[in-house]
Amino acid sequence: MQSDNTFKEHRDPKLTLKQRRLIKNTLIHAVLILLAFVFMFPFLWMFFTALKTPAELLQGIEVLLPKDPQWENFRVAVTTVPFFMYLKNSLILVFFAVLGTLFSATLSAYAFAKLQWPGRDVLFVVMLATMMIPAQVILIPSYILYDLIGWLGTRLPLIVPYFFGGGAAFYIFLLRQFFKGIPKELTESAIVDGAGHFKIFFYIMLPLTRPALITVSLLTFMFVWNDYFGPLIYLSNPDHWTLALGLRGFQTQFTGRYDLMMAAAILVMLPTIVLFFIAQKYFIEGITFTGIKG
Amino acid sequence: MSKKNKTSSLSGLRKQEKKLGYIFASPWLIGLVIFGAFPILASLFLSFTRYRMVGTPEWIGLANYRALMFNDSIFWTSLWNTLYHVFLSVPLGLFVGIILALLLNSKIRGIGIYRTLFYLPNVVSIVAMSLLWLWLFQPNFGLINQVLSPIYNLFNMEPLGWYRDADLSKLTLILMGLWTAGGSMIIYLAQMQDIPKDYYEAAEIDGANGFQQIIKITLPLMTPSIFFNFIMGIIAGFQVFAIAYIMTQGGPGRSTYYYGYYLFDKMINDNNMGQASAMAWILLLITLVITLIALTLNRFVFYLGDQD
Repeated sequence: MQSDNTFKEHRDPKLTLKQRRLIKNTLIHAVLILLAFVFMFPFLWMFFTALKTPAELLQGIEVLLPKDPQWENFRVAVTTVPFFMYLKNSLILVFFAVLGTLFSATLSAYAFAKLQWPGRDVLFVVMLATMMIPAQVILIPSYILYDLIGWLGTRLPLIVPYFFGGGAAFYIFLLRQFFKGIPKELTESAIVDGAGHFKIFFYIMLPLTRPALITVSLLTFMFVWNDYFGPLIYLSNPDHWTLALGLRGFQTQFTGRYDLMMAAAILVMLPTIVLFFIAQKYFIEGITFTGIKG
Repeated sequence: MSKKNKTSSLSGLRKQEKKLGYIFASPWLIGLVIFGAFPILASLFLSFTRYRMVGTPEWIGLANYRALMFNDSIFWTSLWNTLYHVFLSVPLGLFVGIILALLLNSKIRGIGIYRTLFYLPNVVSIVAMSLLWLWLFQPNFGLINQVLSPIYNLFNMEPLGWYRDADLSKLTLILMGLWTAGGSMIIYLAQMQDIPKDYYEAAEIDGANGFQQIIKITLPLMTPSIFFNFIMGIIAGFQVFAIAYIMTQGGPGRSTYYYGYYLFDKMINDNNMGQASAMAWILLLITLVITLIALTLNRFVFYLGDQD
């Protein structure tokens, strides 16, 4: 570290270190509370709006809280559109995407982390590079391919690729880091005891990296639940629409009825928010663990 | 089991590993070929053809590229809109993310709650987020114009039209995007917590104040994650589509008609797969060039552990 004379500066000698720290922390709290208010108020406003009458909508902040909360709006939101069908469709896609991602990402992460095979390191770089390719480059031929094999209009384009590592580069990277963290001695002593790599994979690796598996499942869940682009392109049959598509349809159907739109939007985002609060440890760890640290 | 036996069983497994490596990686490897390599090469081929989902692609050389670049003003409008979006949203996003991370790097009570709150907008779906901000920016009854109305009155000006004003619409979508800056914040924080404490202690002894410590220690050692978020921000920024599709339908007057939107229309509405592929490849090249330029900035990136 360099030592720099300009670092020396004048401080009020009357304040002790403790007092200065107290002032500093109070200031930081003040700024953070203000910022948190700005970041959180949209959520609150969304909730208030969902409970308002159309007349109250037009009064803006004059009516901060609805006088007579319209819980009815939530019922309207789920009954005027086939909400539960959308929910079912979203859950179907999420289920297969999580299953497929876990299947393909854990296996290949194990190959990258624990096995020696020719071409491994080159392919690892290729895998990281795929994260940088714009989705549109892949999209058009895939669309044509799915058309040729008759998958357009079915859910298959949004399910099958996950079983082949589609969109899983980040997760493979994450799991590889976790697998690498499992001590060599553990696997080698298992090998001595006669276990093959499939046994090691199932009985040592997967149980020991459960937190990482939960992280991958949660991130996949979030992505698929919230994804708009994929379903927009591939789900032409309204009976297959997901909540994200349904919500968009809701918007065009109820132009200007922000009370109903906000009620529907809250219902769509509630599961992800609840999930995040329950399992935020896994999210934050998963995102930070990958260590973009050089 | 004797020692010799042990090593021979290990080396036998080493040989077996070569095969097993491919077996374990096979789901991803197959995917790489079918859902990666094949589409990339196919889209390059298609970009030199005329193909509208019927018949067979007809080779037309560079005609698609020429048509887009010399005969299509919408192409340039959409590219300009996208560049505008990238060049404002990426630096602003970096700035807000870094500020949040610096504030949250302090050791104060309740820091976990703040982190959760600032991250929360990132779990909201893009449709829900778009609807919410349509309502917040709504020019007549929206919260933002209501809050700003004293300022409008003070300066005697008309309330801003936000997404309904062609001059402001791109900026409106960029401002909305800052709501999710907490996503990059988490990555910065992880890196900040890796910075050895003795750096700060040494600086403190030398008389550096908090601000100087941030400028001389924290920020330089954060450059790897800043760099990462910068590259990822650029790649994502060039693909901006859904927010415009949901909020403005590309308007008003094509002001939010982004590159990804035009590509989508070419593909889904016109079925003009040749030109859509050419657009995709131009996008890939632009992203590549900008990433390579950005990589030259890499020499300003400090990697902890590289110094000694």
